[in-house]
Amino acid sequence: MSKTLSGVGATPLAGVGTVRWYEPTIPEFDRESDDPEAERQRFVDARDWARAAIDEERERVAERVGEEEAAILEAHRQFLDDPQIESAVDAEIEGGATAEAAVEAAFADPIEQYEATGGRVAERADDLRDVRDRLLRTLAGVEDVDLDALPDETILLAERLVPSDAAGLDPDRVAGLATVVGGRTAHAAIVARAIGLPAVVGVGDPLREIENGTTVVVDGEAGVVIVDPDEETRTAARTEREIDVIDEQVATADGRSIEVAANVGRPGELEGAIDSGADGVGLFRTEFLFIDRTSPPDEDEQFETYSEALQAFPGERIVVRTADVGGDKPIDYLDLPAEANPFLGDRGIRRSLGVDADLLETQLRALLRAAGTAREEGDATGDLAVMFPMVADVAELDAALERVDAVAAALEDAGEPCAIPELGVMVETPAAARMAPELADRVAFLSIGTNDLTQYVMAADRDNDRVTTLHDPLHPPVLRTIADAIDGGHERDAWVGMCGEMAGDPALTELLIGLGLDELSASAVTIPQVKARIQETDTEAAEAVAERALAAETRSAVLDVLDGDD
Amino acid sequence: MERIVTVEQEAGLHARPASAFVEAAGEFESEITVGRANGDGAVDAGSMLAVTGLGIERGDAVRLTAEGPDADDALDQLVALLERPEP
Repeated sequence: MSKTLSGVGATPLAGVGTVRWYEPTIPEFDRESDDPEAERQRFVDARDWARAAIDEERERVAERVGEEEAAILEAHRQFLDDPQIESAVDAEIEGGATAEAAVEAAFADPIEQYEATGGRVAERADDLRDVRDRLLRTLAGVEDVDLDALPDETILLAERLVPSDAAGLDPDRVAGLATVVGGRTAHAAIVARAIGLPAVVGVGDPLREIENGTTVVVDGEAGVVIVDPDEETRTAARTEREIDVIDEQVATADGRSIEVAANVGRPGELEGAIDSGADGVGLFRTEFLFIDRTSPPDEDEQFETYSEALQAFPGERIVVRTADVGGDKPIDYLDLPAEANPFLGDRGIRRSLGVDADLLETQLRALLRAAGTAREEGDATGDLAVMFPMVADVAELDAALERVDAVAAALEDAGEPCAIPELGVMVETPAAARMAPELADRVAFLSIGTNDLTQYVMAADRDNDRVTTLHDPLHPPVLRTIADAIDGGHERDAWVGMCGEMAGDPALTELLIGLGLDELSASAVTIPQVKARIQETDTEAAEAVAERALAAETRSAVLDVLDGDD
Repeated sequence: MERIVTVEQEAGLHARPASAFVEAAGEFESEITVGRANGDGAVDAGSMLAVTGLGIERGDAVRLTAEGPDADDALDQLVALLERPEP
């Protein structure tokens, strides 16, 4: 007989598997010692170890989850080094306690006090326990439980899970997570969401009765844990986890079509894109043609490459981006001087119109020929579109369009079959976003590159670990810039897509639809989930989310909007 | 010397703002305490444990005291930190 326990759903996902309780057990320890000096040294050593471990986890959480969650570990470090804890431990050791007994005693009063205070202070008692247990485990020489060594299809049950634990979970192995205590585990919930793990928190005492080895379903959507589920429930949970590939183009629940295309960095990735159900390619990077070789690719080689990509997607669109070459990646046969700020330097369309004008001409010839051939073949092959990277000035686009016309004229004169493909601009500079209407006047589409756009709007280097918090497209200035670009493009009848990482985050799909995007282009792996999300989305509700997100003043306020608790 | 200040930080003196406050207080030589303006529970501003335990929320008035060579400076900076709405 199955039994259903309710809690708070943390991720809208379900998973089924075998229960494993997560108990970082602390072995029994001696309580008395007659060598206070040795005990004090053991405490100091354990604290040093624990501090190093916290710092390491802090980095990991900052990288995988975000600075906000990493800040909890910063607080842990401060609790660890707290002068009151230190003096209490010293006093206990002086009185004949072992380091373990001293640590336990030093934390006991504050934990009790915090819990008696209630409210947010009580939630911090978990942090104190976490720090205490970390010290006790270190003193006992116990390795932290190896979350990477869990068997497949494990449902992890825990009293509570700290963010550092959750960040170590591998969603390929762990099928779900449920905790007894809710409260501050919200942090663990955020991590679970970030790594796509089904999770239900705050189930309460009944969860404790579930034994290791029991089969359960964790349904984060309904916020329930189902013990001994019947076959039907299990299958449902499994299928939900393995999201089906949707080959056809999808529409929102209210019928608005959204194209979901793939980002492709080399021809080898085309197959994965097809398998994931991509509606064509929204960003075909061409740098692979130019790097790791001693001379540039000639026109015929490029023509072949583009034609092959088009043949992979009959009836769909392939958006090729002209070479985005700059001082950050060395290419032997090009004169790429070292620049102090390569991301603010001579790159993308700037080089294509300047020092690399020949390269652009060759690339355009190959592209226009491929477009001509494709047009002759009709639906048997894909439709080519071409976009220019790093545009900051309308005059740059005008110059690029002139080159296109000149190449078309030259090919026609020579009697070569050619066509001018659909043309677009990649919006990745704040300048391009500001000039979106004027740019859109001249081309058929805009495609927003959020990775670079974020770094330019926030003035935060995308590769500098120290400013990762700023490098997040959910900062309101980035969202507002994106919204302006979309509106600017639509105002002049251009379609507007997005090809940055942001487009592939299913948690943001509703927001992006609400902002009005016509196309999302993402890494192949995320496409099935993004498509599924689109089908669940209602445009009007999405627009309301977007409106609230655009009104938010900080990134965390935007996160609250996305969580639905603003 | 002492100052009374109303906490403007959205999260009160918890978690991140508390971390920042304790960190900042630790930078000074002076002995710094913090407590509720209307009570006598002043604690060591360099102790995360004690500062968190105060349970200060946004809008609460707190009393800061500092004694030492950089007391003035310390109070200026800590008051500014507590009055800043964002951590």
